[in-house]
Order: sequence, then C-alpha cells, then structure tokens
Amino acid sequence: MKISLNLLKQFVDLSGLSTEEIVHKLTFAGLEVEGVTKLAEASNLVIGEILSVEEHPNSDHLHILKVDEGPKYGIHQIVCGAPNVKVGLKVIVAREKAVLPRLGVTIQKSKIRDAESDGMCCSLVELGVDKTYLSEKQINGIEELDPSAPVGEEEVLKYLGYDDEVLDINVLANRSDCLAAFSLAKELASLFNRPLNIPTFKEEKLKESDFKVSSATSKCNQFSLKVCKDLKIKESPTWLKRYLMASNIRSINNIVDIGNYVMLLTGQPLHMYDIDKLPSREFIVKDDVESDFVALDEKTYQIEKGDLVVTNGGHNVCLAGVMGALECAVDDNSKNIAIEAAYFHGATIRKTTIKTGLSSDSSARFIKGINLNQDRYVLDLTVSLLKELADAKEIYETVSYREKEIAPTVIECSVSYINNRLGTDFEASKIKEILERLYCLVTFDEDQDHFKATIPSHRIDLKCDADLSEEVIRFVGFEAIKSRLPMMETTRGGLTFEQQKRLKIREMLIANGYNEILTYTLISPEEDQKFVLLNEDEPYILKNPMTVEHSVVRRSLIVSCLNTLKYNLDHQNRDLALFEVSEVQTKTSRYTALVAALNGACHVRGQLKTRPYDFYDLYGAFLMIMEELGIEESRYKVARLTSPYFHPGRSVKVTIQNQVVAVIGQIHPQYQEKMGETYVMEVNLSAFMALKVGPLKMKNISRYPSVSRDLALVVDKNVLAKEMIRQIKKSGYPLVSEVSVFDIYEGLPLEHDKKSLALSITYSDCNKTMTSEEIAKCEAKIISDLNNVFKAELRK
Amino acid sequence: MNERIEKIASQALEDIENAKSSEALQDIHNRYLSKKSELSSFMSKMRDLKAEEKVKFGQFMNDIRFKITTSLESKKAALQKKALEERLNKEVIDYTLPEVDLKKGSKHLFNKIIDEVCDIFVGMGYQIAEGPEIESDHFNFELLNVPKDHPARDMQDTFFIDETLLMRSQTSPVQAHVMLEKKGQGPIKIISPGKVYRRDDDATHSHQFGQIEGLVIDKNINMGNLLATLELFSKAMFGEKREVRMRSSYFPFTEPSVEVDISCFECGGKGCALCKKTGWIEILGAGMVHPHVLKMCGFDPHEYQGFAFGIGIERVAMLKYGVDDIRRFYNNDLRFNTQFKR
Repeated sequence: MKISLNLLKQFVDLSGLSTEEIVHKLTFAGLEVEGVTKLAEASNLVIGEILSVEEHPNSDHLHILKVDEGPKYGIHQIVCGAPNVKVGLKVIVAREKAVLPRLGVTIQKSKIRDAESDGMCCSLVELGVDKTYLSEKQINGIEELDPSAPVGEEEVLKYLGYDDEVLDINVLANRSDCLAAFSLAKELASLFNRPLNIPTFKEEKLKESDFKVSSATSKCNQFSLKVCKDLKIKESPTWLKRYLMASNIRSINNIVDIGNYVMLLTGQPLHMYDIDKLPSREFIVKDDVESDFVALDEKTYQIEKGDLVVTNGGHNVCLAGVMGALECAVDDNSKNIAIEAAYFHGATIRKTTIKTGLSSDSSARFIKGINLNQDRYVLDLTVSLLKELADAKEIYETVSYREKEIAPTVIECSVSYINNRLGTDFEASKIKEILERLYCLVTFDEDQDHFKATIPSHRIDLKCDADLSEEVIRFVGFEAIKSRLPMMETTRGGLTFEQQKRLKIREMLIANGYNEILTYTLISPEEDQKFVLLNEDEPYILKNPMTVEHSVVRRSLIVSCLNTLKYNLDHQNRDLALFEVSEVQTKTSRYTALVAALNGACHVRGQLKTRPYDFYDLYGAFLMIMEELGIEESRYKVARLTSPYFHPGRSVKVTIQNQVVAVIGQIHPQYQEKMGETYVMEVNLSAFMALKVGPLKMKNISRYPSVSRDLALVVDKNVLAKEMIRQIKKSGYPLVSEVSVFDIYEGLPLEHDKKSLALSITYSDCNKTMTSEEIAKCEAKIISDLNNVFKAELRK
Repeated sequence: MNERIEKIASQALEDIENAKSSEALQDIHNRYLSKKSELSSFMSKMRDLKAEEKVKFGQFMNDIRFKITTSLESKKAALQKKALEERLNKEVIDYTLPEVDLKKGSKHLFNKIIDEVCDIFVGMGYQIAEGPEIESDHFNFELLNVPKDHPARDMQDTFFIDETLLMRSQTSPVQAHVMLEKKGQGPIKIISPGKVYRRDDDATHSHQFGQIEGLVIDKNINMGNLLATLELFSKAMFGEKREVRMRSSYFPFTEPSVEVDISCFECGGKGCALCKKTGWIEILGAGMVHPHVLKMCGFDPHEYQGFAFGIGIERVAMLKYGVDDIRRFYNNDLRFNTQFKR
C-alpha cells in the first residue's frame, strides 16, 4: 500500500522524526516499508513573476523573459520555450545551481542562441511529478501558479504541497486494518508514543431518513446508509488529488474522490447510489439471487446463488463489495446520493471476485477483513467531506441494519504465558503499558499474572493469547529476546536407513564421474506417454497448469533426463554421465527412483585414451548399487527387455516377483534422435530398499591354497555367459569359489554362430589342501555338465 | 719374482680401469685371481722359501690380491651405478600428459544445500522427515491454520489436481504429518527438505523450487530457542561472524512470525550490492507454532510449544554462490552444474 507521509502526519504528531526512523520502526514492527519515493524533487527553487515577455530573435518558439525573483534575488533574464508564458504569470524558477534529479541536470547560467539565460521556468514534470496525474496543459507547459503565490518564496515544493514522500508499505495478510491511514497513524502513535489527531464528529440532530435497510443473509451482518442531497459534482481540490495520487488513485471528481479518500483513511469501502435512479427506498442484501447483472463497466455478469447482492425494489443495484449496477450509478448530473458502508463476508466476496474476474481495492479489503464497528463514523466522515468539497446541504440520519450488536473481543492471557513463549522476562506493568499503548483495555486478576485484554475494533487480527505475545514483542523489538539453545531431552538424530542409502548411492555415482541433475516433476502429456516402464499407473494431471508443458506429474524420470542430455549436447557439452534421484508419485504408487544416462565416451586418460560408453557401464553401476544395498543376484531376475523405446538386443529389465523394478539399456535408435548412442537406466530404489537383507556375518577364509584353472569353451552365440557361470558353480559345488570370463572370441576358425568363452575357475577348500585328482574330477564334471546343458565343447 | 708379480698386478689394475662391462670384469677376475692364474702359480713357490721369507712373501701376495680385489669391486659398483643411471635416463616421462581420469562427478547445487543444511541439524539431534509432493488440501492448508477461502491462500498460487489434492506449495505439511504421528507426545525435532510447487515463473521464481522446514516441539520451547538455533545455523552455513536479527512478519501457522536477516557475508554488514546497502540479507521465515496448528495436529497448546522455520533452498544457494537466475538450477547445463564440486 502506498501512502503519503504528509497525510499520515496530519493524524499523528511525527515532528522531529526523520523518514528513516519512521521507516525503520514500521519495518521492524511488521509493516515493511519496501520503498520511499519523493513526490517531487528539486533544489534552489524560488517563486517568480514574469515581468516581460519578448520573442527570441533567433528562434521561432523561444521567449526571453524578465522574471522578478523577489527582493533577495532580484530580476533575472530567462530564455523559455514554454507556450504558456505571459506577463504577470507566477512561475516556479529553478535558479542557478538548482539540481533537478528527474531531469538529471544542474542549472547553469548560459547563452541560448546568443541570449543570456539565468535560470529556468519549470513544469511539474521537470520537478519529477508523475505525468499520469497531470493535465495535458501541465505536461506541455510551465506550471501556472495561483496569482496569490508569494514571489520570492524559496520553499516552493512545500508551498505546492509536493514536499511529500510516499511510503510503499507491504501490508501482510493479517494486518488488513493497516490498509487505512488512520490505522497506520495509530500504529505510529503507539510505536513512537505520540499523540493521535484523528477527526471526531459530534452527534447532530439530522432529518430522519425514509430509507430502510436490511439483510436476508448472514454473510452481511451490518449495513449502514446515509442520504445526502443537493450536492455539486466538480473537480477535487489539489490537496485531495495529491493524496490520492500518492496512493496511485486517479482523481475522477469530488464525489468519487471522497469515496476513495475515505476508504484510504478508514479502510472501509463505500458505495454510492444516485437515489433519483433507485426504484424504491428499501435496500435488502441477498445471497440467493440468480440473474444477469449489468455493472458499471457496462459488461454483463451472471449473478449466481451464493453471490452477495444489494437489491432495491427487486432490482440488483450492486454486486456487493465488488461493483455497482450501471442503472443507479452516480454520474456528472447526480445531485442526491445514498452512501453505503457495509460489512460483507470476505470468503463470499473472494468467491465472487474469482468467478467474475472483477476485483478492486474495495473487494480486496472485504476479502482481507475490515473493522466491523466503524460504519457510522465512516459515514459521518464522508458527509463532512461532502459538505466541505461538494457543497452538500441536506443530510439525513444514518440508517443501519445490524444482525446483533458487535461485542469487542476479549482475550484472556497471562504475563507468564507471554514470557514463556517469547523467552523474555517482562514485568506485568511493562506488558500492561505496551498493550494499552496499542489501544487495548487491560485488567489484571488478583495474581497480577493473568489478565483480560479488550481489543480495539480495528485490530481484527488479534484473536488469541499467542497474538498478544506477538504484539508485545513486535512493539518492544526482537532484541529483547534472549538467545538460548533449547534445553530438552536428547533425541536420536540422523538419517533413516533409506535416507542413508540414498545419500550413499548418490555419492557413489558422483565419485564414479556421474553428474547429478535436477529436473521438473511436471512434464507435458506427450512426454508422459514415453518411457514409462516401472509402473502402469495413471498419472496425476493438474487442473490449473500454467502451461501444457508442465501439466502432468511424471511417472518416469527418463524423459526429463534425456531432455537434459539433449540440452547439454546442444550446448556443446560432450561425453555425458548424468543421474537424478527423485520421487515418482502416481495415483497408486509413490517411490524413489534413480535415473542415469550415458552418452559419448568414457575418458580413461583424457583424449589420449577413451572408450565409448556401453551397456556394461550402466550395468556395473546397477551392480554397485546392489552391492551397497547388500542384495544378491538371486534376489531378482534379469531378462531381455521388450520395449519400443529400447534396443531389443541391448536392454534388460530387472524384476522382483514379476514387478519391473529396473530397466537398463540402449535407447532404441528410432528414439535417440540426434543424440547418438545413448544408454539409460531407471531403478525403483524403494523396491530394492524394501527387500529384507540378512545381517552381516564373517565367512571363513581358507587357510589352504586355492587353485585356478582356465577353460576355453565353444558355445552357440546366444548362450549367456552368466548362465554358464551359474552352471559351473552348481556343478563344481562346493569346490568352485569363483568363475570369471577373461576372453571372448568370435570368428574363424569358429563357425559363424559360435563363440569361444575363456573362463577362469578358482577352486578352494576350507578344510584341506586339494589334490590334483580332486580338481581334475571336479573339472571333468563341469565340462560334462556344460556339454549337456549348453552343448559346450572344449576349444581345441 | 717380485718384480714379475708387481708387473702382473699393475697390468691387472690397468685392465680393471679399462673394463667397460661387468662381463669384462668377470674375465679380469678369472684371469688374475682364479686358481689357474699366473698370480696363483706364484703361491706354489712359497713352499721353497724360508720361514722368515715365507711370511714376508705371503704378506706381499695378500696385499697384491687385496689391491686387485678392491679395485675390481669398486669398478663393478661404478659400472652398476652408471648402468642404473642410463636406465633411469631412458625412463623419463612427460608428467604433463593426460592423467588417469579419476575426476569425480558433481552433486547438484540444490542437493548440495540440502545435504549441508541437513548435516548441520542432524548434528543437533534432528531427524529428517519427508512427505509426499502430492498433498491433500487438508495437510497443505487446513491443518496449518489456512481454512478454505482464507486470504492467505492468495499468497501462494497453488497447482490443484482436484478439489482435495494439490501439489504441495510448501514443505510445512510434513510438520502436520509428523505431529499427528506423534499423537500429542513430544519432543519433536525434525528438518524436512523437499520440492514445492507454485504457479509462478520468472528470474527469481520457478514453478518448482525447494524448501527446508524445521520444527521443534517440546514443553518449554520459546522464541529465544528459535533465535539461538538460527544463529547456530547461520554461523555454520555462512561463517562464524554472522549475526541474526528478526523482524515481525506474518505466516498463518506461526505466531509470532518473523522474517530473519543475517548480517551480510559479502561486506560483513558495511553495505554492498548483495545486501542492497543495508548490511543485512533476508534469509528465512520463522515463528512460534500457532496454538491452532498444535491443537489441530493433536498437541495440547497449554502443555507444548514449538518453533518452526522455513528456508528457501535456491535462495540460500543464490546468495551463497552468487547464482543469478533460479532457472539455472533446472536447465542442468553441466557448465553450471559442475562448478560446485567441493
């Protein structure tokens, strides 16, 4: 909220306080001042009077003026280009060395086309006044001062009322009361302990009104109306325009301006009706109307049940708190008006504004909540301004509807509670003083600890004891709090098993050269169709996305990872190893997933020695993770993956009890686009982490020497090495302790569908030294079994 | 005879001096010192000498042999040394050629901050609590003192899935989950990092971003405890000289609520571009848990009090590492990602 500091100064004595002090105090009390701007800015100004005007001989539009700058400075010659110069005009003169910050100039004595010029006649624009609030004439010419302006006056901005600063205050949602100058003045009065000067009005005997008001809904529990006749609509005085301007409100005419000004002062939105256009003398607020509504903006809106409407003689005269009807709007010819000050339920107004898309300063105030107890005061204030600025003559008694009398809020609290909550040791008297300065009424129980605080009606945010603790501390300042770490039972901190393993897995991948990425959870429907392999669930789809690109909650991390890969390749980043660990959530499942992708070459020694990434890089990473989790190969099945997105010969799926828990492989050439050979892996980490793993126990290490024997076997190409190894371990149990592949050969002299696998087999026995006969016997069994199962032949 | 022996000896020494290899030395050894050598043949003549001369001659022969042997050995050592030197000279490498690539990958800056912050709080006995990113309105708002149609909902423009489900707009619902699980029994000391989502997108806002929420609940928790905890955190995260100050603020789920500033770590509080000449940097929001929240989440607000705070992950990273645009976190350009390895 933007507000003129001069306006605030009218209602609270801030003399002797600098703007910085005011800003600091407000900011630390929760009313953050986000900016201070000057309404106008210039130095070395003086009011002058034009004594003579001559045309400049060397120019078709410049004039040479003689300007009287008063007894102190005398008469100076000024060359001026403004079209509205004339003899006798009182003008603003920027004297020699005057600084005009908005123009970025310092005035110097100079010659303009051979004529001497000593100073400059100014427009308000040149002094920095925002053009939005000035007339064409003011923008295009120099400012024409009132004939009564005192020549020689040097405090020109002050004389004009432009010596003002605008505070931009970030009013938080709970302090909607501070969307009003009077409330801000009260805050300042409390914070600085200064006297308040808010206008009051005496009871006056007025004519009785023949208007009736009522409400047929609990969403409007208070409605007051005042009728005012025979007023004149005209331009507002400059002081009013300036205050509105400071708050970014454009001046329309005196009546509209008074409405806005009163709202600016009190926070109470007003609505005005032209009573000569009203069908009846009775207003009823309803919330069960269904009808079309032509609003002030000449557009038609639908009123539905639940919307609050002010009705009059069966007509809908106002969409309550939002916008009035065109049919009874105050216009330039209006003479007699009715002013409404009501309370409308915020949540109801919020719904209506969201539905219609109409919102205004008024609706925003109702939504945030307004003071329930100031309607009559507000109407008196409005009338006093109408009398002053619109020559209003006939004023009628306020008519009011009230569901019930509004009792002030009383909060029960205690000094000990406040100190316990804040970690302070304030005395009861201190707390009483603070709350009283905040306009609360405080009465203590006999124990001098418990008390009751009666809350002023404008503080609608104060509802419970905790709220009072905040009032005390924001008033005193948070420096009063003693810093001390919690004294409490020791708790077992740390990471859960899943958290530890997740961190470990990420760090292992990083240590192995993978770069971690972080991608968006929300993807496009099109992207969501691809690469979903770890679940067959329905995705969550947003009801109100910002863009279709981010409208579906992803079911797989692969697409995002591949997009990142592409992005990097497009930016000349090569040889990529990426991974991400993120949560996947669908309508039926939620798990932690890992995605990893490889593209290009693995640098063994820079560019000197490289090798292309392949399937085995990722599979190795997978096994490393399994090792970290203590999951043996027997716990899951690995089989070839059939998916349109993967290379059929170079991809696998990992299953546990038929549930796919990981996929590893090369992207199908059809989907790799310009990326080139790309390998990707997605793992449901939660599924693996959920597997029960036995406790770690030491296994005996043989004291006897082990023996290694090599075998070269010729088998069909499609025989899987892992299956042969499994068979060897089975056939050679318990002597075979390890089997590994150390060479593969395909080609002549082997037949085209054959390959030769060279295997190294380690035999060991924990209990004795093996004899060569024993080993030979075991080896013979292995060879014979391999021959039976895989038709494996010893390579000759 | 002695003359002849001396001559042989001087010849031997000369041969040793001229030897070029250890093989040549072996030859010399055989030639002069073996049993069949000329020198050895003189020994047999010792028998013919008188006892007195025998001793003298024996002494003489020993000296000769000793001279030749030591000369042989020192020459052998010299040759070996030379050979080793030659070998080492041949084995010189260019140590600037590409090394074996053991370069590690990089942690994402977002996760780096989470891991660092969690580490600080875990050290103080906090546990890490996590919750779903798709939440119910009940947990994301209602249990946090933001009923339906509350104006505070406009502070956060939320992505909805349906009437009751939404993308969580804050990590605070994790608080509510943990409190309800604890069934009104303290203490609670948790930190909950995670992704949150809001309808917002520009250089300083992303529709997805991260928060770290902290919550402590026990019987005598007060704002002084919050202040001390945040001071400890700020020093650990931004340096030992950091100071902390609080400003009054508003969050629906805390009362009192504060914005927390730390003294600028760039200029030490003197005022610079980073702190916009104020000497202070806004770092997080915090407050005492609102009694309504405690009550709705099963805790008796007359028995228990607590504090909560929320840290913006990207904000911390942007401040600490001078990151200029929040979108960098999500572009994942490796030229950015790999800058934060240590």
